[in-house]
Amino acid sequence: METYTYVNIFETKGLEYLLLISFLVLFVFLVRYLSTPAHKR
Amino acid sequence: MTQSPTGLSAEVRRVLRFVVSELWPKGPLLTPFNLISVPVILLGIGILVVRFIYGLGAVTNLSQSYPWGLWIGFDVVTGVAFAGGAYVLTFVVYVMRVEKYHPIVRATVLNGLLAYMFYAGALVLDLGRPWNAPNPIIGNSFGYNSVLFLVCWHFMLYMMAEVVEFSPVVAEWLGLKRLRNILSSLTLAAVIFGVTLSMLHQAGLAALFLMAKPKIHPLWYSEFMPILFLVSSIYSGLSMVILEGTISHRVFSNQLDAAKHHQFDDMLLGLGKGAAITMFVYYFFKALVFLHDRQWNLLGSGWGAWYLFEVLGCVLVPCVMYIVAVRTRSTGLLRVAAIWALIGILLNRLNTSVFVFNWQSAHHYYPSWQEIVVTLTVVFVEIWAFRWIVLRMPVLREAHQLPHPESPVVAATA
Amino acid sequence: MDRRSFLKISAATGIALAAKEAPAKEAVNPEEFIGVLVDTTRCIGCRSCERACSVAHDLPVPDIEKDGALARARDTSDTQFTVVNRFATSKGEVFVKKQCMHCWQPACGAACLTNAMYKTRSGPVIWRPGKCIGCRFCMVSCPFDMPKFEYNTWNPRLLKCTMCAERLEQGKRPACVDACPTDALLFGSKRQLMEVARVRIYNHPERYVHKVYGEYEVGGTGWLYLSPVPFEEIGFRTDLGTTPYPEYTRPFLYAVPLALFGLPALLLGLNLLANNDDTPLEGSES
Repeated sequence: METYTYVNIFETKGLEYLLLISFLVLFVFLVRYLSTPAHKR
Repeated sequence: MTQSPTGLSAEVRRVLRFVVSELWPKGPLLTPFNLISVPVILLGIGILVVRFIYGLGAVTNLSQSYPWGLWIGFDVVTGVAFAGGAYVLTFVVYVMRVEKYHPIVRATVLNGLLAYMFYAGALVLDLGRPWNAPNPIIGNSFGYNSVLFLVCWHFMLYMMAEVVEFSPVVAEWLGLKRLRNILSSLTLAAVIFGVTLSMLHQAGLAALFLMAKPKIHPLWYSEFMPILFLVSSIYSGLSMVILEGTISHRVFSNQLDAAKHHQFDDMLLGLGKGAAITMFVYYFFKALVFLHDRQWNLLGSGWGAWYLFEVLGCVLVPCVMYIVAVRTRSTGLLRVAAIWALIGILLNRLNTSVFVFNWQSAHHYYPSWQEIVVTLTVVFVEIWAFRWIVLRMPVLREAHQLPHPESPVVAATA
Repeated sequence: MDRRSFLKISAATGIALAAKEAPAKEAVNPEEFIGVLVDTTRCIGCRSCERACSVAHDLPVPDIEKDGALARARDTSDTQFTVVNRFATSKGEVFVKKQCMHCWQPACGAACLTNAMYKTRSGPVIWRPGKCIGCRFCMVSCPFDMPKFEYNTWNPRLLKCTMCAERLEQGKRPACVDACPTDALLFGSKRQLMEVARVRIYNHPERYVHKVYGEYEVGGTGWLYLSPVPFEEIGFRTDLGTTPYPEYTRPFLYAVPLALFGLPALLLGLNLLANNDDTPLEGSES
């Protein structure tokens, strides 16, 4: 039997945008971290 | 420099004589690698003879539920991911003109070319009706609708591009200066073509599995598989360059002078930085897919644990290792990170194509010993080819360091 | 529907049922998608269809009396294009004939890079040996796992039900449809079969689950099924979706020409921007 129930395909969109923002922030920190060596040779 | 007709045929004869003189193995014959690889290769050839007489079922564990096994899953799908270094490095060196990595680009292109030749060759071994293999090429009905059609054509065109990219090395080896200069002028075009094709078929290998949606476990299946494979092929290639470069540097160290060795560590760290950033991006892509497909429900099962091992254990961990290694300039940790990242790639590719394929089926596939031997055969023969070329052609060393082909000492050179 | 059309359809159906073919009053348009309706409430598990199929295709004929094959659920194989399986369900024993579904947009056809797996204009999905390279990508793609490969020969074929395409060309029906003694199998265009199926459900709502499997599954299939119990109980997957399977690869295949247009231009542009000096790519040899 097929039934018709509520489907929201954008349910996780809010979480995805949060993930994106945290990614962008962390990315900036990552690139800065990689570009300054801890010890100089 | 004009050449008379007799001058040209004399040139051809000289080249042929030179090539024949180069066929004999250089160096000691009874190395550990030789002692292991030769029996395996011979056994592998025997197995292949059986395969062609009695069919695939005689030497593989493939079945109606598992039409693709180790040969496709490892030799083709994983092998191509491992060969991703060629397109990444040629992009960096020839498109973006970052000269820092120039010294290793030739070896990387050679590796890529050999990888594709041998892994595409392994694919032909897996075909049930290989005599029809020219069909998709010669036009005995092109299946434009098929992703495999695309992958097949891309493989072929990419190999041609890599041949063009590598051909100046061969021309230098043969002492053909004018030809070498002509071929060099084609490099940028070949690289642009090659990078485009590579990106498409790295993604294409994942696209092959898009229609297998009900048969691949939902933690691995995603409509974004092509993008995931593409991004992971970048750090897979970089990791392989790091690993392969390390090995080559030890094995062929007599070809490199002191300045090269020092420069090498700088290159490794630069590559590691690229790998770190790519893995970081990839990890977040995986997180996005995880959220989008609401996969948290699936984590409770055994498959869920396996998935976490692959993503946390073999993506996040090597990513962090790369970050730490680059920051502390530790080439030792860098190499460990590279190996770990490659294990993660191997897991991901094998999982998608074999292990979690038809995961609901009662039967499970594991490779037969013959499949493993043939896979090793392909890898060993590829290494033999690589070694043969690197010992003779200006891949790691400059051309002027090679004995001139007309020199009488050519046959005696070790 | 109103009484008049209902009576007309029932009458036509009644005649048709005796003829094993959907109402012949309207001729089947040769461009129409054809198929077979399998009414599992009528199947008695005699396996005459298996025998007829094997005979029609020169396959080993199963020993129906003695082989006890109904004891466990079987899959089709490279020597048997169709099997009948027995399921113990909430409404008793149900027998289900299993074979290639001849999808409207077959995944195997989209997968095949040489068009060896090919959907003919009339409907049957067939395999053409001259083109096949034996890559088994069709097997990977089929949601029903139907194509079967001959692993134990140097000259393997991909084998599955062909809806007796050769017999159809001669104006005959598929061998299994002809052999069925209880009219569990009905041959015709999908349009006609759907009407018959709906009429049966309408007339006997307690006998059937109110769904025709294959109407929309995987974008629609040629073989349609009626069942007395939910389809999961008789071995059908109900999670295959209604999207035609080739649709899953369409975004990728469309992206390829875009990439082939855009990437070379982008890469060349990057190169021109990155080119600070005029040094050639590989220094010319002295």
